[in-house]
Amino acid sequence: LVMRGNKLRLIDPGQALCELGLEEHQLRFTSTVYVEEDGPPTKTADKIYQLIKSKVSDTPAQYSSDGSITMSDSVLIKVSGDEESKSVLVSWSHQDEDLGSYLLQILKTGLVT
Amino acid sequence: SMSRPKTYIWGRVNVRTFVDALTKQGITDIKVEETEDGSIIDLPNDDTLIQVEPESTHIICEGNEVIRIKLRDTLLKCLQKL
Repeated sequence: LVMRGNKLRLIDPGQALCELGLEEHQLRFTSTVYVEEDGPPTKTADKIYQLIKSKVSDTPAQYSSDGSITMSDSVLIKVSGDEESKSVLVSWSHQDEDLGSYLLQILKTGLVT
Repeated sequence: SMSRPKTYIWGRVNVRTFVDALTKQGITDIKVEETEDGSIIDLPNDDTLIQVEPESTHIICEGNEVIRIKLRDTLLKCLQKL
């Protein structure tokens, strides 16, 4: 709710911040899951993509050929490593906290054996 | 379904205030390095680096979720909400 002159208006909080001249503070989290799994990193990435699709049906996931997966506005999942061991980076902004922390949890329980 | 928070956060993090708040939370192994744009807070005991800049903070946490959530909530208290 923003007052301008004598008028009150109901506007989106992001727009209100902008109109009030306030800078939004971007808060981002990155955590890593380590996986011992034979095969190329893209195979692990594909497995993660299938796992996510089965667990989170209401938010679409985009899979890139470099083995990274993006979801919502800010979530990034990226697999790197070699034939034996992989690290899975999971990164999200505060706006996607529920989704990001849920994905981290399912990757920790669903990948690490 | 996943909810997205309706609050926006704004303002700058006062690193000294944040570090004091972390100390009160029982996190005592804290190293602060000044950089060109801000600070890097290293928490070696908790496998975490926190990169603080005027318009952004990045919490890179290799520790467990308990510590990440504690860091998140402590940081949010150092910022303004709308």
